[in-house]
Amino acid sequence: MEVITHGGSTVSDDDSVANEYLTFTLGSEEYAIDILKVQEIRGYEQPTLIANSPPFIKGVINLRGIIVPIVDLRIKFNLGKIEYTPFTVVVILNVAGRVIGAVVDSVSDVFSLTRAQIRPAPDFSGTFDTKYILGLAAVETRMMIVTDIERLMTSADMELIDATATSS
Amino acid sequence: MTIDMSQFYQVFFEESAEHLAAMEGLLLNLDIENPDSEQLNAIFRAAHSIKGSAGTFGFTDLAETTHILENLLDRIRKQELGLRADMVDAFLESGDLLRDMLEAHQGRGAVDVQAVESICNRLRQLSAGPEEMAPEPAPAGGAVATEAVQQPVGKHVFDIQFVPTEISAKGNGVANLLDEFRAMGSLEIISQPDAEMHNLGYWQMRLVTDASQEAFSDQIDFIAENGAWRVVEDVSAAGDDDQAFGIFGDSPGAPDAERGYGFFAPPLIPSSEETDGYGFFEPLPSPADTAKERPAGIGQEGEGYGFFAPLAPSASLGPAVEEGDGFGFFVPLPSVPDVLPEIAPRSDDPSNQPAPPVAVEKQGAEPRGRVAKASASANANADSSIRVSIEKVDQLINLVGELVITQAMLLQTAAQMQGDTPERLVNGLAQLERNTRDLQESVMSIRMMQISFVFSRFPRVVRDLSSKLGKQVELKTSGETTELDKGLIERIADPLTHLIRNSLDHGIELPEIRIAAGKNPVGTITLKAYHQGGNIVIEVGDDGAGLPRNKILAKARERGLPVSDQMTDQEVFLLIFEAGFSTAEQVTDVSGRGVGMDVVRRNIQAMGGRVEIESMLGVGTRMTVRLPLTLAILDGMSIAVGDQTYILPLSYVVESFQPQSGDIKTLSNHARVIQVRGEYLPVVVLHEVFNLKSRAGDFTQGIMVVIDADGIKAALFVDALVGQHQVVIKSLEANYRRVQGISGATIMGDGHVALILDVSAIAGMAKTSLQKTG
Repeated sequence: MEVITHGGSTVSDDDSVANEYLTFTLGSEEYAIDILKVQEIRGYEQPTLIANSPPFIKGVINLRGIIVPIVDLRIKFNLGKIEYTPFTVVVILNVAGRVIGAVVDSVSDVFSLTRAQIRPAPDFSGTFDTKYILGLAAVETRMMIVTDIERLMTSADMELIDATATSS
Repeated sequence: MTIDMSQFYQVFFEESAEHLAAMEGLLLNLDIENPDSEQLNAIFRAAHSIKGSAGTFGFTDLAETTHILENLLDRIRKQELGLRADMVDAFLESGDLLRDMLEAHQGRGAVDVQAVESICNRLRQLSAGPEEMAPEPAPAGGAVATEAVQQPVGKHVFDIQFVPTEISAKGNGVANLLDEFRAMGSLEIISQPDAEMHNLGYWQMRLVTDASQEAFSDQIDFIAENGAWRVVEDVSAAGDDDQAFGIFGDSPGAPDAERGYGFFAPPLIPSSEETDGYGFFEPLPSPADTAKERPAGIGQEGEGYGFFAPLAPSASLGPAVEEGDGFGFFVPLPSVPDVLPEIAPRSDDPSNQPAPPVAVEKQGAEPRGRVAKASASANANADSSIRVSIEKVDQLINLVGELVITQAMLLQTAAQMQGDTPERLVNGLAQLERNTRDLQESVMSIRMMQISFVFSRFPRVVRDLSSKLGKQVELKTSGETTELDKGLIERIADPLTHLIRNSLDHGIELPEIRIAAGKNPVGTITLKAYHQGGNIVIEVGDDGAGLPRNKILAKARERGLPVSDQMTDQEVFLLIFEAGFSTAEQVTDVSGRGVGMDVVRRNIQAMGGRVEIESMLGVGTRMTVRLPLTLAILDGMSIAVGDQTYILPLSYVVESFQPQSGDIKTLSNHARVIQVRGEYLPVVVLHEVFNLKSRAGDFTQGIMVVIDADGIKAALFVDALVGQHQVVIKSLEANYRRVQGISGATIMGDGHVALILDVSAIAGMAKTSLQKTG
């Protein structure tokens, strides 16, 4: 089943139409992702290790009969303290027809953001490649990094998808 | 009558594709010298079914082409024409075109109109050719032929009645037909439907023409609702003859199977018709013995219509029932006017022509149907299967998988209660386990299909290709009943086709070369499928030239591939799977471009399978494809390594034992081997392979599991054996990617995920590590 690309990079042309975004924190940074890509939010459970996988891939869990890989974004982007407590949150994402779990520090809010509110991000070099950033959004004093989560998760950097699968 | 036809389209496409496949298979099996009439009939039925349903659904291009095809087939099966090899070729080609049309109707690809045109013409020529030489009397049985009255010359008067289908009525079908009639002669419309009915309804007309009924009855059949048409020649009106004949009307392209009607023609005085075999006879108070003889003669015809005129109502039914698709018409004689005509109709055998009009005393009398039992068993197979969408089956499989997990969880919970478990609960759980396993097996088997589904297309490939290449090749298949998952069946077809083409092109030599080499000029390609362990093995073998090792090595060097003379034959042969690699001296349109073999390997690997090549120069080559049974329930042994649990497919496990200190020796101070029953096996230490922390301090604290992966043996060192389970294989690739050494994942009784080891890959690791050091 193809996931319909919604919001994110293909936000409608009308600047006043708002899309809803889920925000989560990684260390001190706040990220916003298209809420339609989020399937559910659940607590962290010890996954089954996958041998010889990169450290940010924690393993796989059983999500009601589906084998779902778990990625720790904190390790991937080197942000925040890497600890697993009963309050550690896993955001289950539904991107590119796949189900992927992402470990984040916490989930904070759901915001409605219009296209006009999302400003282009300045070019900067960092761990988080700008090609996955759709822009920056300011709500009151907070700055949120609006992320193209689908692009990020399907990228070769994440090593979640076979190279042959992505190239085709 | 507003039924949305489109909902049936998919069924039509599937069925037609199946009919086409069946037709092709039968055509390839036909013995041209001496065709089996049963096979010819089956081919005809397939063509006829396609035509019938194509007409119903309004796919006129399909229907028209099949119609022409069917005409020729019909003549062959009635032995009016001898079967020739070029006819088979034409049939096969038209089958391909029909398939293209089907695809085009489904929105894939386009039809080559010119090709269709040319094949239609070819078929027409094949069908018409000999007719011009010998305008023959109806050869429908000896007894009939002698009675046949030659076609009267001059004008004929036809009474035409039909009910058009909705599609043709709303379209131009009826109007075109009427135009055609008018062009043929004078047309008088006796009754027609009301204007607001848009031509839909009952038409009756009278046509005076010098053309024969043949010329237009086909068109009526196209336009008319299944079977709802009738043409009767009114000979008396034509003032031709005065004899009383019963006519058994023509019916090329007859109404469809389901409608076994008899039309009772008015007691006219008809004449004979050409081409199609009618049995007719005088329903006059003729001597009883001739009447009895005749049906017997007709009944033996493949056609199998027995018409006879019983003198008494009790006249024997025998001749009609004898034949599977036989009809018996009992035409009452004028002397027994109270007898209703009886039909022993058939079967939904589509090759049957509809019950033709029978001259009876009582016009319009309702025929009484009687089902011929002979055909019932023949159709039992068709009736006992249903079409179910694959999604439903997959959903069922998933649900059963969940059930198995739940059941395993219950069992584990009960086991943890130790002695406190009530006996009845234990018994109930044991029964649940059994039932669940049975249920799972049955559900899994729904998705399984016989590999003959794929194999059946290869005789055609071999036939076409060998004639193109001027080689003589015989294809032998075995193990067609081996079952594998439908998903795999669909994906294995292309790679296998490539392998066979490759064998044909590069493997099998030309007949002259074969004779010079002292071989049978006819090469053999063997196609074999069987189960081995948890795998399906498909072998494509040939007795051709074999792979030239030196040539492959030279070619590889030329292409800058890293090769050495020390490489094993296996490794050298695998080079042919490299992209762009071809040793063919010249590029043909069959192969030699070097694309294909790399695709083969990629496709097979994508299915989780492997290809191996064995070859001997001058003797032949064998390519072995091993595929996993992805959906099968895996019998697995769970093993512990560190804090992780893995599943080892039980089919690979030979034995396990606890090693003693000193059992393990090293080679070149790196690779370890262990002696097991006089054999030195490489040791694979699982926690090293997977970078885990072992709980076993040294080898004596763990367990050695001897595994045998397709001939490669290795000793796998693990911390402990945990237990034996039946596990449902879940794909790791659905949401993640392929992991080296892991073939899949499963969910254990406690809800945790356990990974299933890819034993072959692990054994392979052992082998390469030995080779590197040794």
